[in-house]
This record gives sequence, C-alpha cells and structure tokens, in this order.
Amino acid sequence: MPLDRKQIADLVINSIHELGEDLEKPDLIAGDESTRLFGARSSLDSMGLVNLIADIEERLSEAFKIDITLANQSAMSRTHSPFRRAASCIDYIMELLAEIDKK
Amino acid sequence: MSPIALITGTRRGIGHALAKHLLNKGWRVAGCSRGKTNIQSKNYRHFSLDVTDEDAVLVMVRTIKRELGSIDALINNAGIAAMNHFLLTPTETCRSVFETNLTGSFICMRECAKQMSRKKRGRIINLTSVATPLNLEGEAIYAASKAALESLTRTAAKELGSMGITVNAIGPTPIDTDLTRTVPPEKIEALIQKQAIKRIGTTQDVLHCVDFFLDEKSAFITGQTLYLGGIA
Repeated sequence: MPLDRKQIADLVINSIHELGEDLEKPDLIAGDESTRLFGARSSLDSMGLVNLIADIEERLSEAFKIDITLANQSAMSRTHSPFRRAASCIDYIMELLAEIDKK
Repeated sequence: MSPIALITGTRRGIGHALAKHLLNKGWRVAGCSRGKTNIQSKNYRHFSLDVTDEDAVLVMVRTIKRELGSIDALINNAGIAAMNHFLLTPTETCRSVFETNLTGSFICMRECAKQMSRKKRGRIINLTSVATPLNLEGEAIYAASKAALESLTRTAAKELGSMGITVNAIGPTPIDTDLTRTVPPEKIEALIQKQAIKRIGTTQDVLHCVDFFLDEKSAFITGQTLYLGGIA
C-alpha cells in the first residue's frame, strides 16, 4: 500500500527531533514542518544536514524497506534545494516514492 | 557481537581469500560478485550484483544493516583490468573500467560510510595496484582508474575522518590469481624486477595489510596507500 504523507512526515520530524537531542539544539528538538534544514538561518551545519539525510534514508529502509538515495542528481540540480525546510524534504520524498510507484 | 565486513568481488582471487580469512577470524562477512560464490558459512551472506548498479548496491547495504547489523568494514576489492596498447584501447573499455573500479567503489564507500558515521567508527579499504605508481605500459586505463581510486581514498579520508572512519588503500604487486594468469610470464617477471623485493606477491601479503588497517590500533592511520614489494 502506498505510504501517505503523514507517515513520511512523522519519520522526518522524528529524525530531526533525535538529531536535535544529539546536537542539543532546542529549535530542532521542537522542530516541525517549518524547521529550516539548510542555509544561514538553519541551526544545522553542513555535517548536520549530511547526518540528517543519512538518518532519514536509514529510517526509510528500516521502517518501510524503501532503499533510496535522497541526495541524487534530481535533488542537487534543482534551483531550490528540497532540503531547505522539513516540509520541502517531506514533499520531495513523496515525489521520489511516486516515481518508484510509477516504475 | 562479531564485527561485520562487506567485501566486494568475493567470487574468486583476493576477495574470495579475504572473505574466508575474515570468517576464520570470527567476522560476519557479506560479499558480492556478479556471479555466485562457493563460500559456505553460516556467517557469510552473498549478493549477486554488479557494483556499478547503484540501486542494487543500496539494497544490499541496507539489507545487511537490517538483517545482520551495521557494517564495520568495507573492502572494495571488485575491479576489472584492461590490458591494451594505448592507441588500441576502445573508449568503451575506458568507460567500463572506470565505472567498476572507481564509480562502483565510490557507491559502496558512500553507502557504507553512512552507516559507519552513525556509529562514529568504521574502516574502508580500497584495493588499488602498483600499476599506478609504475605507470605500467599497456595498462593506461587500469592504472588511471586506480590512480583515481587512490585520490578518492585520500579525499574521503579527510571528509570522513571526523566521523571516526578511516579510509586507506592497498596496492598489491602481481599476485598469482586468475587475473594475472592471463598476463604473459615475461611481463610478470619484468614487473617483479621493478620491485625492491623481487618475488611474486602472495594472497597472504595482502591479508596481512588488511589486518593491519582493520586493527583497532590503526585508528590514527588514514588516507594512505600501502604498496607491496617496495614500490614507491
């Protein structure tokens, strides 16, 4: 059965919360879909974002047996990074899942 | 729990010997090759795939995590050689050698390093060749692909160092394997004469280097390429 957006949103937000606890960043601990993941106003540095992406990939694999790479050519070539906010990251994962369903 | 290694190219040669060696030392080993393997052990899991197939590698690495646990060590051994005069080397050969020797190794490194970074420790070992420092005639593309892999080793070592992951490479001399059996004996002999220690390498020589890089006490050694036989 196709995953709905809420399942993916919960997975991404939980990952942000856990990373926030590891990094002791209150805004990430209380993160929601509006949380910035990328750019000057994000409390994540580049390594933090790398760890977050790796963690989300791992959670997708473990929870739903979905094995995808989020940092693919499509993500890197966009004018607006899908990793700028939690919401755009969730939407982007939904896009990737829809592409897999089409195949 | 015993540690877990992923070794690419375990069907024969050095990869096969490495898998058996680590199994004997109590590791759990996942291996892959384009074909099947004859390694029989309850602690061995084989995946038939091509390391250049990104989706297949992804599924393999994450299946290992789900079913065995997080990968502690990756040994990138899978590789292909191409011996040809430079002027007679087809472009497709160049592409396929780089695809396996560099891109395939890169994909495995990236995916395994994601797991290792979560544990803040890991070992990556890439198999390269003395063909690179010797600039061997007739092996231009093979040597270039291994030079690229050595460069990748050094840069990845810098990027992954803060995550507790070491990345090193081993450059064996000719070793008596299926790969070198296709090389004329006089070519092998000429190569041996370029070494400080003039004998053909053994699988045991490579296993010893692997043990060295895997050793917990080698945590401060990264970004290095270790050539055998006294090649510099």
